[in-house]
Amino acid sequence: MKTVFKREFLSYFHTPVGYVFIGVFSALSGVIFYLNNMTTLSGELLIFLSQLTLLVMLLSPLLTMRLLCDDQQKHTDKLLLSSPVPLPSVVLGKFLAAAAVMMIAITLTNVCTFILMLYGKVFAGEWFVGYLGFSLQALSFLALDFFLSSFAFSQASAALLAFAGNLVLWMMDLIADAIPVTFLAQSLRFISLYDRYEPFVLGQLSFASLTFFLTFITLFVLATMRLLDARRFSRGGEA
Amino acid sequence: MVEVQGVGKRYGHVEALRNVHLTAEKGRVLGLLGQNGAGKTTLLNIITGCLAPSSGRVLINGQDPLLNPSAAKRVLGYMPEHPPLYDEMTVEEFLHFASELKQVRRAEIPAHIAGIMQSTGLTEMRTRMLSHLSKGYRQRVSMAQALCGDPEVLVLDEPTSGLDPKQITEIRALIRSLSKGRTILFSSHILPEVRQLCDRVVILHRGEVKLDADLSAIGGSSATVHCRIQGDLKKLSAALRHMDGLNDLQIMPSSEPGEVALSLTFGKTALPEKQVFTLCSALGAPILRMTRHEDDLEQIFLQAIAE
Repeated sequence: MKTVFKREFLSYFHTPVGYVFIGVFSALSGVIFYLNNMTTLSGELLIFLSQLTLLVMLLSPLLTMRLLCDDQQKHTDKLLLSSPVPLPSVVLGKFLAAAAVMMIAITLTNVCTFILMLYGKVFAGEWFVGYLGFSLQALSFLALDFFLSSFAFSQASAALLAFAGNLVLWMMDLIADAIPVTFLAQSLRFISLYDRYEPFVLGQLSFASLTFFLTFITLFVLATMRLLDARRFSRGGEA
Repeated sequence: MVEVQGVGKRYGHVEALRNVHLTAEKGRVLGLLGQNGAGKTTLLNIITGCLAPSSGRVLINGQDPLLNPSAAKRVLGYMPEHPPLYDEMTVEEFLHFASELKQVRRAEIPAHIAGIMQSTGLTEMRTRMLSHLSKGYRQRVSMAQALCGDPEVLVLDEPTSGLDPKQITEIRALIRSLSKGRTILFSSHILPEVRQLCDRVVILHRGEVKLDADLSAIGGSSATVHCRIQGDLKKLSAALRHMDGLNDLQIMPSSEPGEVALSLTFGKTALPEKQVFTLCSALGAPILRMTRHEDDLEQIFLQAIAE
Protein backbone atom coordinates (compact mmCIF):
# COMPACT_ATOMS: atom_id res chain seq x y z
CA MET A 1 0.00 0.00 0.00
CA LYS A 2 2.83 2.34 0.92
CA THR A 3 4.42 1.88 -2.52
CA VAL A 4 1.19 2.75 -4.35
CA PHE A 5 0.48 5.65 -1.98
CA LYS A 6 3.94 7.12 -2.53
CA ARG A 7 3.73 6.85 -6.31
CA GLU A 8 0.25 8.34 -6.53
CA PHE A 9 1.03 11.13 -4.09
CA LEU A 10 4.22 12.12 -5.95
CA SER A 11 2.43 11.89 -9.30
CA TYR A 12 0.18 14.78 -8.20
CA PHE A 13 3.33 16.90 -8.04
CA HIS A 14 5.02 15.41 -11.13
CA THR A 15 2.01 16.78 -13.03
CA PRO A 16 0.31 20.17 -12.53
CA VAL A 17 -2.79 18.58 -10.86
CA GLY A 18 -1.51 18.81 -7.27
CA TYR A 19 -0.26 22.39 -7.67
CA VAL A 20 -3.45 23.53 -9.43
CA PHE A 21 -5.66 21.93 -6.77
CA ILE A 22 -3.76 23.37 -3.81
CA GLY A 23 -3.24 26.74 -5.52
CA VAL A 24 -6.86 27.23 -6.56
CA PHE A 25 -8.17 25.91 -3.22
CA SER A 26 -5.90 28.29 -1.26
CA ALA A 27 -6.65 31.28 -3.47
CA LEU A 28 -10.42 30.80 -3.37
CA SER A 29 -10.43 30.08 0.37
CA GLY A 30 -8.55 33.39 0.77
CA VAL A 31 -11.25 35.16 -1.20
CA ILE A 32 -13.96 33.52 0.93
CA PHE A 33 -12.09 34.50 4.10
CA TYR A 34 -11.80 38.08 2.90
CA LEU A 35 -15.52 38.33 2.05
CA ASN A 36 -16.76 36.33 5.04
CA ASN A 37 -14.49 37.56 7.83
CA MET A 38 -12.38 40.55 6.87
CA THR A 39 -15.00 42.78 5.27
CA THR A 40 -17.46 42.03 8.09
CA LEU A 41 -14.80 42.01 10.82
CA SER A 42 -16.09 38.60 11.90
CA GLY A 43 -14.01 36.22 13.99
CA GLU A 44 -16.16 33.17 13.15
CA LEU A 45 -13.83 30.34 12.18
CA LEU A 46 -16.54 27.68 11.98
CA ILE A 47 -18.74 29.69 9.59
CA PHE A 48 -15.69 30.35 7.41
CA LEU A 49 -14.92 26.60 7.26
CA SER A 50 -18.51 25.75 6.39
CA GLN A 51 -18.31 28.16 3.41
CA LEU A 52 -15.37 26.12 2.08
CA THR A 53 -17.62 23.10 1.47
CA LEU A 54 -18.50 24.60 -1.91
CA LEU A 55 -14.80 24.60 -2.85
CA VAL A 56 -14.40 20.96 -1.85
CA MET A 57 -17.46 20.05 -3.90
CA LEU A 58 -16.15 21.86 -6.97
CA LEU A 59 -12.51 20.86 -6.75
CA SER A 60 -12.38 17.32 -5.32
CA PRO A 61 -13.18 15.74 -8.75
CA LEU A 62 -9.79 17.15 -9.85
CA LEU A 63 -8.07 14.80 -7.41
CA THR A 64 -10.01 11.65 -8.22
CA MET A 65 -10.56 11.97 -11.97
CA ARG A 66 -7.25 10.37 -12.98
CA LEU A 67 -6.72 7.92 -10.14
CA LEU A 68 -8.44 4.95 -11.78
CA CYS A 69 -9.03 6.00 -15.42
CA ASP A 70 -5.35 6.64 -15.99
CA ASP A 71 -4.54 3.02 -15.18
CA GLN A 72 -6.97 1.76 -17.79
CA GLN A 73 -5.80 4.21 -20.43
CA LYS A 74 -2.09 3.62 -19.84
CA HIS A 75 -2.54 -0.14 -19.23
CA THR A 76 -0.80 0.25 -15.86
CA ASP A 77 -3.69 -1.66 -14.28
CA LYS A 78 -1.97 -4.79 -15.65
CA LEU A 79 1.22 -3.83 -13.80
CA LEU A 80 -0.69 -3.40 -10.53
CA LEU A 81 -2.98 -6.42 -10.91
CA SER A 82 -0.13 -8.79 -11.79
CA SER A 83 1.95 -7.62 -8.81
CA PRO A 84 1.90 -9.31 -5.39
CA VAL A 85 0.29 -6.20 -3.85
CA PRO A 86 -3.35 -7.10 -3.05
CA LEU A 87 -6.07 -5.10 -4.82
CA PRO A 88 -7.46 -3.59 -1.56
CA SER A 89 -3.99 -2.18 -0.81
CA VAL A 90 -3.78 -0.68 -4.31
CA VAL A 91 -7.20 0.99 -3.93
CA LEU A 92 -6.46 2.20 -0.40
CA GLY A 93 -3.04 3.56 -1.46
CA LYS A 94 -4.67 5.56 -4.24
CA PHE A 95 -7.44 6.96 -2.02
CA LEU A 96 -5.01 7.92 0.74
CA ALA A 97 -2.81 9.75 -1.79
CA ALA A 98 -5.77 11.90 -2.88
CA ALA A 99 -6.77 12.35 0.77
CA ALA A 100 -3.24 13.52 1.63
CA VAL A 101 -3.33 16.23 -1.08
CA MET A 102 -6.77 17.30 0.16
CA MET A 103 -5.44 17.49 3.73
CA ILE A 104 -2.49 19.65 2.60
CA ALA A 105 -4.95 22.11 1.04
CA ILE A 106 -7.10 22.08 4.19
CA THR A 107 -4.05 22.55 6.43
CA LEU A 108 -3.00 25.61 4.42
CA THR A 109 -6.30 27.32 5.28
CA ASN A 110 -4.85 27.65 8.78
CA VAL A 111 -3.22 30.84 7.49
CA CYS A 112 -6.72 32.29 7.92
CA THR A 113 -6.90 30.83 11.46
CA PHE A 114 -3.58 32.53 12.21
CA ILE A 115 -4.94 35.90 10.99
CA LEU A 116 -8.02 35.43 13.20
CA MET A 117 -5.73 34.67 16.14
CA LEU A 118 -3.78 37.89 15.49
CA TYR A 119 -6.85 40.08 15.71
CA GLY A 120 -9.16 38.03 17.92
CA LYS A 121 -9.43 34.78 19.79
CA VAL A 122 -9.71 31.25 18.42
CA PHE A 123 -10.43 28.57 21.02
CA ALA A 124 -8.51 25.31 20.66
CA GLY A 125 -11.71 23.26 21.01
CA GLU A 126 -13.48 25.31 18.37
CA TRP A 127 -10.51 24.93 16.02
CA PHE A 128 -10.32 21.15 16.63
CA VAL A 129 -14.05 20.50 16.14
CA GLY A 130 -14.23 22.81 13.11
CA TYR A 131 -11.32 21.25 11.29
CA LEU A 132 -12.29 17.69 12.28
CA GLY A 133 -15.82 18.11 10.89
CA PHE A 134 -14.68 19.93 7.77
CA SER A 135 -11.93 17.38 7.02
CA LEU A 136 -14.32 14.46 7.44
CA GLN A 137 -16.87 16.10 5.17
CA ALA A 138 -14.18 16.79 2.54
CA LEU A 139 -12.93 13.19 2.71
CA SER A 140 -16.52 11.97 2.34
CA PHE A 141 -16.90 13.93 -0.89
CA LEU A 142 -13.54 12.53 -1.99
CA ALA A 143 -14.58 8.93 -1.22
CA LEU A 144 -17.80 9.37 -3.21
CA ASP A 145 -15.89 10.90 -6.15
CA PHE A 146 -13.33 8.09 -6.01
CA PHE A 147 -16.10 5.50 -6.19
CA LEU A 148 -17.92 7.28 -9.03
CA SER A 149 -14.69 7.67 -11.04
CA SER A 150 -14.36 3.87 -11.11
CA PHE A 151 -17.35 3.81 -13.50
CA ALA A 152 -15.71 6.18 -15.98
CA PHE A 153 -13.30 5.36 -18.79
CA SER A 154 -11.89 8.85 -19.33
CA GLN A 155 -10.74 11.63 -17.02
CA ALA A 156 -13.36 14.05 -18.32
CA SER A 157 -16.24 11.65 -17.71
CA ALA A 158 -14.83 10.77 -14.28
CA ALA A 159 -14.71 14.46 -13.31
CA LEU A 160 -18.21 15.08 -14.65
CA LEU A 161 -19.65 12.06 -12.87
CA ALA A 162 -17.97 13.05 -9.60
CA PHE A 163 -19.19 16.63 -9.87
CA ALA A 164 -22.75 15.45 -10.54
CA GLY A 165 -22.52 13.13 -7.52
CA ASN A 166 -21.32 15.99 -5.32
CA LEU A 167 -24.12 18.21 -6.55
CA VAL A 168 -26.77 15.58 -5.78
CA LEU A 169 -25.32 15.08 -2.31
CA TRP A 170 -25.18 18.83 -1.74
CA MET A 171 -28.79 19.26 -2.84
CA MET A 172 -30.02 16.30 -0.82
CA ASP A 173 -31.89 18.59 1.60
CA LEU A 174 -33.65 20.44 -1.19
CA ILE A 175 -34.59 17.13 -2.82
CA ALA A 176 -35.85 15.81 0.53
CA ASP A 177 -37.94 18.94 1.06
CA ALA A 178 -39.59 18.45 -2.31
CA ILE A 179 -40.55 14.83 -1.61
CA PRO A 180 -43.98 14.44 -0.01
CA VAL A 181 -43.35 10.88 1.24
CA THR A 182 -42.09 11.31 4.82
CA PHE A 183 -40.12 8.08 5.03
CA LEU A 184 -38.27 8.80 1.78
CA ALA A 185 -37.59 12.41 2.75
CA GLN A 186 -36.21 11.28 6.12
CA SER A 187 -34.00 8.68 4.46
CA LEU A 188 -32.56 11.29 2.11
CA ARG A 189 -31.91 13.66 5.00
CA PHE A 190 -30.14 10.84 6.80
CA ILE A 191 -27.47 10.65 4.09
CA SER A 192 -27.21 14.43 3.68
CA LEU A 193 -23.60 15.47 4.29
CA TYR A 194 -24.83 19.02 4.86
CA ASP A 195 -27.11 17.96 7.74
CA ARG A 196 -24.41 15.76 9.24
CA TYR A 197 -21.94 18.64 9.17
CA GLU A 198 -24.34 21.04 10.96
CA PRO A 199 -23.30 20.10 14.56
CA PHE A 200 -19.63 20.82 13.76
CA VAL A 201 -20.58 24.30 12.47
CA LEU A 202 -22.25 24.89 15.83
CA GLY A 203 -19.07 23.78 17.59
CA GLN A 204 -20.49 20.46 18.82
CA LEU A 205 -18.45 17.29 18.62
CA SER A 206 -21.21 14.96 17.43
CA PHE A 207 -20.29 11.30 17.68
CA ALA A 208 -23.28 10.37 15.53
CA SER A 209 -21.98 12.61 12.72
CA LEU A 210 -18.43 11.43 13.32
CA THR A 211 -19.52 7.80 12.99
CA PHE A 212 -21.60 8.64 9.93
CA PHE A 213 -18.71 10.33 8.11
CA LEU A 214 -16.26 7.52 8.94
CA THR A 215 -18.78 4.90 7.82
CA PHE A 216 -19.55 6.85 4.64
CA ILE A 217 -15.84 7.04 3.72
CA THR A 218 -15.20 3.37 4.56
CA LEU A 219 -18.23 2.16 2.62
CA PHE A 220 -17.35 4.02 -0.58
CA VAL A 221 -13.70 2.94 -0.47
CA LEU A 222 -14.79 -0.68 0.12
CA ALA A 223 -17.33 -0.39 -2.70
CA THR A 224 -14.57 0.80 -5.04
CA MET A 225 -12.43 -2.21 -4.07
CA ARG A 226 -15.36 -4.54 -4.68
CA LEU A 227 -16.21 -2.96 -8.02
CA LEU A 228 -12.66 -3.21 -9.34
CA ASP A 229 -12.39 -6.80 -8.15
CA ALA A 230 -15.71 -7.69 -9.81
CA ARG A 231 -14.50 -6.10 -13.05
CA ARG A 232 -11.81 -8.79 -13.30
CA PHE A 233 -14.61 -11.33 -13.61
CA SER A 234 -16.75 -9.42 -16.09
CA ARG A 235 -14.41 -7.22 -18.07
CA GLY A 236 -13.74 -7.88 -21.75
CA GLY A 237 -10.08 -7.99 -22.72
CA GLU A 238 -8.23 -7.77 -25.96
CA ALA A 239 -8.12 -11.24 -27.43
CA MET B 1 5.83 -24.06 -13.62
CA VAL B 2 2.50 -22.82 -14.97
CA GLU B 3 -0.52 -25.11 -15.16
CA VAL B 4 -3.69 -24.04 -16.94
CA GLN B 5 -6.48 -26.45 -16.05
CA GLY B 6 -9.69 -26.34 -18.09
CA VAL B 7 -9.81 -22.55 -18.25
CA GLY B 8 -12.80 -20.94 -19.94
CA LYS B 9 -13.76 -17.28 -20.25
CA ARG B 10 -17.11 -15.87 -21.32
CA TYR B 11 -18.03 -12.25 -22.00
CA GLY B 12 -21.81 -12.41 -22.10
CA HIS B 13 -22.62 -14.63 -25.07
CA VAL B 14 -19.07 -14.58 -26.42
CA GLU B 15 -16.89 -17.50 -25.42
CA ALA B 16 -13.34 -16.13 -25.58
CA LEU B 17 -11.69 -19.27 -24.17
CA ARG B 18 -13.00 -22.82 -24.03
CA ASN B 19 -11.57 -25.55 -21.78
CA VAL B 20 -7.92 -24.58 -22.23
CA HIS B 21 -5.35 -26.97 -20.75
CA LEU B 22 -1.62 -26.39 -20.97
CA THR B 23 1.52 -26.78 -18.90
CA ALA B 24 4.65 -24.65 -19.13
CA GLU B 25 7.63 -26.28 -17.47
CA LYS B 26 10.65 -24.73 -15.80
CA GLY B 27 13.60 -24.04 -18.08
CA ARG B 28 11.47 -24.16 -21.21
CA VAL B 29 9.93 -21.56 -23.47
CA LEU B 30 6.31 -22.10 -24.43
CA GLY B 31 5.04 -20.20 -27.44
CA LEU B 32 1.38 -19.32 -27.68
CA LEU B 33 0.52 -19.03 -31.32
CA GLY B 34 -2.71 -17.77 -32.79
CA GLN B 35 -4.32 -15.27 -35.10
CA ASN B 36 -5.45 -11.88 -33.81
CA GLY B 37 -8.53 -12.51 -31.68
CA ALA B 38 -7.66 -16.14 -30.95
CA GLY B 39 -7.71 -15.54 -27.18
CA LYS B 40 -3.96 -15.27 -26.50
CA THR B 41 -4.08 -12.02 -24.53
CA THR B 42 -7.16 -13.12 -22.58
CA LEU B 43 -5.37 -16.33 -21.59
CA LEU B 44 -2.21 -14.44 -20.54
CA ASN B 45 -4.32 -11.96 -18.53
CA ILE B 46 -5.94 -14.89 -16.73
CA ILE B 47 -2.58 -16.55 -16.05
CA THR B 48 -1.24 -13.32 -14.52
CA GLY B 49 -4.36 -12.72 -12.40
CA CYS B 50 -5.46 -9.58 -14.26
CA LEU B 51 -8.65 -11.37 -15.28
CA ALA B 52 -10.56 -14.12 -13.54
CA PRO B 53 -11.53 -17.22 -15.52
CA SER B 54 -15.22 -18.13 -15.89
CA SER B 55 -14.27 -21.77 -15.34
CA GLY B 56 -11.16 -23.80 -14.55
CA ARG B 57 -8.07 -22.56 -12.75
CA VAL B 58 -4.46 -21.54 -13.15
CA LEU B 59 -1.60 -22.65 -10.91
CA ILE B 60 1.72 -20.86 -10.77
CA ASN B 61 4.23 -23.00 -8.92
CA GLY B 62 1.20 -24.72 -7.37
CA GLN B 63 -0.48 -21.44 -6.26
CA ASP B 64 -3.73 -20.06 -7.66
CA PRO B 65 -3.33 -16.32 -8.43
CA LEU B 66 -6.96 -15.69 -7.44
CA LEU B 67 -6.93 -17.61 -4.15
CA ASN B 68 -3.37 -16.90 -3.10
CA PRO B 69 -2.36 -13.82 -5.10
CA SER B 70 0.69 -12.79 -3.08
CA ALA B 71 2.43 -16.17 -3.30
CA ALA B 72 1.53 -16.75 -6.96
CA LYS B 73 2.40 -13.28 -8.20
CA ARG B 74 5.66 -12.99 -6.29
CA VAL B 75 7.28 -15.36 -8.80
CA LEU B 76 5.61 -13.78 -11.83
CA GLY B 77 6.77 -11.15 -14.30
CA TYR B 78 4.32 -9.89 -16.91
CA MET B 79 5.04 -7.87 -20.00
CA PRO B 80 1.65 -6.93 -21.46
CA GLU B 81 1.12 -6.20 -25.14
CA HIS B 82 0.89 -2.45 -24.47
CA PRO B 83 3.74 -1.17 -22.25
CA PRO B 84 2.26 -0.34 -18.81
CA LEU B 85 4.22 2.85 -18.16
CA TYR B 86 3.69 5.98 -16.08
CA ASP B 87 4.82 8.69 -18.49
CA GLU B 88 5.68 11.23 -15.81
CA MET B 89 8.37 8.98 -14.28
CA THR B 90 11.97 8.43 -15.37
CA VAL B 91 13.17 4.94 -16.34
CA GLU B 92 14.99 4.55 -13.03
CA GLU B 93 12.04 5.80 -10.92
CA PHE B 94 9.67 3.48 -12.75
CA LEU B 95 11.88 0.42 -12.27
CA HIS B 96 12.33 1.38 -8.62
CA PHE B 97 8.53 1.46 -8.27
CA ALA B 98 8.16 -1.87 -10.10
CA SER B 99 10.80 -3.43 -7.79
CA GLU B 100 8.95 -2.17 -4.72
CA LEU B 101 5.73 -3.66 -6.09
CA LYS B 102 7.55 -6.97 -6.51
CA GLN B 103 8.68 -6.68 -2.89
CA VAL B 104 12.42 -6.52 -3.57
CA ARG B 105 14.26 -5.49 -0.40
CA ARG B 106 14.75 -1.73 -0.29
CA ALA B 107 18.53 -1.96 0.20
CA GLU B 108 18.89 -4.29 -2.79
CA ILE B 109 16.82 -2.23 -5.24
CA PRO B 110 19.59 0.06 -6.66
CA ALA B 111 21.86 -2.88 -7.55
CA HIS B 112 18.88 -4.93 -8.74
CA ILE B 113 17.62 -2.31 -11.20
CA ALA B 114 21.17 -1.48 -12.34
CA GLY B 115 21.55 -5.14 -13.41
CA ILE B 116 18.19 -5.12 -15.19
CA MET B 117 18.97 -1.86 -17.00
CA GLN B 118 22.31 -3.35 -18.06
CA SER B 119 20.72 -6.50 -19.51
CA THR B 120 17.93 -4.60 -21.29
CA GLY B 121 20.22 -1.86 -22.63
CA LEU B 122 18.57 0.94 -20.66
CA THR B 123 21.51 2.20 -18.59
CA GLU B 124 22.04 5.27 -20.78
CA MET B 125 18.34 6.10 -20.67
CA ARG B 126 17.92 5.80 -16.89
CA THR B 127 17.26 9.50 -16.29
CA ARG B 128 14.96 9.94 -19.30
CA MET B 129 11.24 10.53 -18.79
CA LEU B 130 9.21 7.59 -20.08
CA SER B 131 7.09 9.95 -22.19
CA HIS B 132 10.23 10.93 -24.11
CA LEU B 133 11.21 7.38 -25.09
CA SER B 134 10.80 5.82 -28.54
CA LYS B 135 8.52 2.82 -29.01
CA GLY B 136 11.48 0.42 -28.95
CA TYR B 137 12.76 1.77 -25.65
CA ARG B 138 9.26 1.78 -24.13
CA GLN B 139 9.06 -1.90 -25.05
CA ARG B 140 12.42 -2.49 -23.36
CA VAL B 141 11.27 -0.70 -20.20
CA SER B 142 8.18 -2.91 -20.24
CA MET B 143 10.44 -5.95 -20.47
CA ALA B 144 12.64 -4.53 -17.69
CA GLN B 145 9.69 -4.09 -15.31
CA ALA B 146 8.73 -7.72 -15.95
CA LEU B 147 12.22 -8.73 -14.82
CA CYS B 148 11.99 -6.81 -11.53
CA GLY B 149 12.02 -9.19 -8.58
CA ASP B 150 13.88 -11.80 -10.67
CA PRO B 151 10.69 -13.81 -11.40
CA GLU B 152 10.77 -17.54 -12.05
CA VAL B 153 7.86 -17.26 -14.47
CA LEU B 154 7.89 -14.73 -17.30
CA VAL B 155 4.77 -14.03 -19.33
CA LEU B 156 5.41 -11.98 -22.46
CA ASP B 157 2.59 -10.82 -24.70
CA GLU B 158 3.88 -10.19 -28.23
CA PRO B 159 7.19 -8.80 -26.95
CA THR B 160 8.53 -7.86 -30.38
CA SER B 161 5.41 -6.24 -31.79
CA GLY B 162 6.08 -2.87 -33.40
CA LEU B 163 9.86 -3.05 -33.09
CA ASP B 164 12.38 -2.52 -35.89
CA PRO B 165 14.46 -5.52 -37.09
CA LYS B 166 17.49 -4.63 -34.93
CA GLN B 167 15.36 -4.28 -31.81
CA ILE B 168 13.57 -7.54 -32.61
CA THR B 169 16.92 -9.36 -32.78
CA GLU B 170 17.99 -7.84 -29.45
CA ILE B 171 14.74 -8.71 -27.66
CA ARG B 172 14.85 -12.26 -29.01
CA ALA B 173 18.44 -12.65 -27.81
CA LEU B 174 17.38 -11.36 -24.40
CA ILE B 175 14.47 -13.83 -24.20
CA ARG B 176 16.83 -16.67 -25.12
CA SER B 177 19.28 -15.64 -22.41
CA LEU B 178 16.47 -15.39 -19.84
CA SER B 179 15.08 -18.84 -20.52
CA LYS B 180 17.71 -20.61 -18.41
CA GLY B 181 16.12 -21.69 -15.14
CA ARG B 182 12.86 -19.86 -15.85
CA THR B 183 9.47 -20.71 -17.23
CA ILE B 184 8.70 -18.45 -20.16
CA LEU B 185 5.34 -18.16 -21.84
CA PHE B 186 5.12 -15.87 -24.79
CA SER B 187 2.48 -15.11 -27.36
CA SER B 188 3.13 -14.29 -30.95
CA HIS B 189 1.68 -14.57 -34.40
CA ILE B 190 5.11 -14.59 -36.02
CA LEU B 191 5.92 -18.20 -36.89
CA PRO B 192 9.71 -17.89 -37.39
CA GLU B 193 9.93 -16.20 -33.99
CA VAL B 194 8.18 -19.10 -32.31
CA ARG B 195 10.40 -21.59 -34.15
CA GLN B 196 13.50 -19.66 -33.12
CA LEU B 197 12.69 -19.20 -29.44
CA CYS B 198 10.35 -21.92 -28.25
CA ASP B 199 10.72 -25.48 -27.06
CA ARG B 200 7.01 -26.07 -27.10
CA VAL B 201 4.16 -24.55 -29.07
CA VAL B 202 0.45 -24.22 -28.31
CA ILE B 203 -1.79 -23.15 -31.16
CA LEU B 204 -4.90 -21.33 -30.03
CA HIS B 205 -7.80 -20.75 -32.38
CA ARG B 206 -11.14 -19.16 -31.48
CA GLY B 207 -10.43 -19.78 -27.82
CA GLU B 208 -9.57 -23.46 -28.17
CA VAL B 209 -6.24 -25.28 -28.06
CA LYS B 210 -5.76 -26.80 -31.50
CA LEU B 211 -2.24 -28.12 -30.97
CA ASP B 212 0.08 -28.57 -28.00
CA ALA B 213 3.38 -30.16 -28.98
CA ASP B 214 7.14 -30.01 -28.65
CA LEU B 215 8.72 -28.22 -31.58
CA SER B 216 11.29 -31.01 -31.88
CA ALA B 217 8.45 -33.48 -32.43
CA ILE B 218 6.88 -31.50 -35.24
CA GLY B 219 10.14 -30.29 -36.81
CA GLY B 220 11.70 -31.96 -39.87
CA SER B 221 8.57 -33.74 -41.07
CA SER B 222 8.73 -31.90 -44.38
CA ALA B 223 10.84 -29.37 -46.24
CA THR B 224 10.27 -27.32 -49.36
CA VAL B 225 13.07 -26.61 -51.82
CA HIS B 226 12.65 -23.69 -54.22
CA CYS B 227 14.99 -23.78 -57.21
CA ARG B 228 15.67 -21.99 -60.48
CA ILE B 229 17.24 -24.25 -63.09
CA GLN B 230 18.37 -23.57 -66.65
CA GLY B 231 16.94 -26.20 -69.01
CA ASP B 232 13.90 -27.71 -70.61
CA LEU B 233 10.79 -27.73 -68.40
CA LYS B 234 9.31 -31.00 -69.68
CA LYS B 235 12.58 -32.93 -69.38
CA LEU B 236 13.36 -31.55 -65.95
CA SER B 237 9.94 -32.04 -64.39
CA ALA B 238 9.71 -35.60 -65.75
CA ALA B 239 13.06 -36.48 -64.17
CA LEU B 240 12.50 -34.67 -60.85
CA ARG B 241 9.09 -36.27 -60.27
CA HIS B 242 10.80 -39.60 -59.59
CA MET B 243 12.97 -38.38 -56.72
CA ASP B 244 12.80 -40.23 -53.38
CA GLY B 245 10.40 -38.73 -50.83
CA LEU B 246 8.97 -36.07 -53.15
CA ASN B 247 5.43 -35.18 -52.07
CA ASP B 248 4.68 -32.31 -54.39
CA LEU B 249 6.18 -30.56 -57.39
CA GLN B 250 4.88 -27.17 -58.46
CA ILE B 251 5.96 -25.19 -61.48
CA MET B 252 6.32 -21.52 -60.58
CA PRO B 253 6.23 -18.61 -63.03
CA SER B 254 9.69 -17.70 -64.33
CA SER B 255 10.67 -14.29 -65.68
CA GLU B 256 13.70 -15.40 -67.72
CA PRO B 257 13.37 -17.44 -70.95
CA GLY B 258 15.02 -20.86 -70.74
CA GLU B 259 14.76 -20.89 -66.94
CA VAL B 260 12.52 -23.14 -64.89
CA ALA B 261 11.32 -22.24 -61.40
CA LEU B 262 10.17 -25.16 -59.28
CA SER B 263 8.87 -25.71 -55.78
CA LEU B 264 9.57 -29.22 -54.47
CA THR B 265 8.06 -30.46 -51.23
CA PHE B 266 9.74 -33.46 -49.62
CA GLY B 267 8.68 -35.73 -46.80
CA LYS B 268 11.14 -37.07 -44.21
CA THR B 269 14.05 -37.32 -46.62
CA ALA B 270 17.60 -36.61 -45.74
CA LEU B 271 19.23 -33.91 -47.87
CA PRO B 272 16.70 -33.31 -50.67
CA GLU B 273 19.10 -30.68 -52.10
CA LYS B 274 21.65 -33.43 -52.75
CA GLN B 275 19.13 -35.37 -54.87
CA VAL B 276 18.17 -32.28 -56.88
CA PHE B 277 21.80 -31.35 -57.45
CA THR B 278 22.83 -34.87 -58.57
CA LEU B 279 19.88 -35.17 -60.94
CA CYS B 280 20.35 -31.74 -62.51
CA SER B 281 24.04 -32.40 -62.88
CA ALA B 282 23.33 -35.66 -64.72
CA LEU B 283 20.90 -33.81 -67.03
CA GLY B 284 23.42 -31.03 -67.67
CA ALA B 285 20.99 -28.42 -66.33
CA PRO B 286 22.78 -25.78 -64.20
CA ILE B 287 21.09 -24.79 -60.92
CA LEU B 288 20.98 -20.98 -60.70
CA ARG B 289 19.50 -20.75 -57.25
CA MET B 290 18.30 -23.18 -54.57
CA THR B 291 16.74 -22.37 -51.16
CA ARG B 292 15.22 -24.62 -48.51
CA HIS B 293 12.20 -23.67 -46.36
CA GLU B 294 11.38 -25.53 -43.17
CA ASP B 295 7.73 -24.64 -43.27
CA ASP B 296 6.21 -27.42 -41.15
CA LEU B 297 5.04 -25.00 -38.50
CA GLU B 298 3.36 -22.80 -41.06
CA GLN B 299 1.59 -25.80 -42.58
CA ILE B 300 0.65 -27.17 -39.16
CA PHE B 301 -0.61 -23.76 -38.07
CA LEU B 302 -2.72 -23.31 -41.20
CA GLN B 303 -4.02 -26.85 -40.87
CA ALA B 304 -4.89 -26.32 -37.20
CA ILE B 305 -6.82 -23.11 -37.76
CA ALA B 306 -8.54 -24.44 -40.89
CA GLU B 307 -10.13 -27.35 -39.06
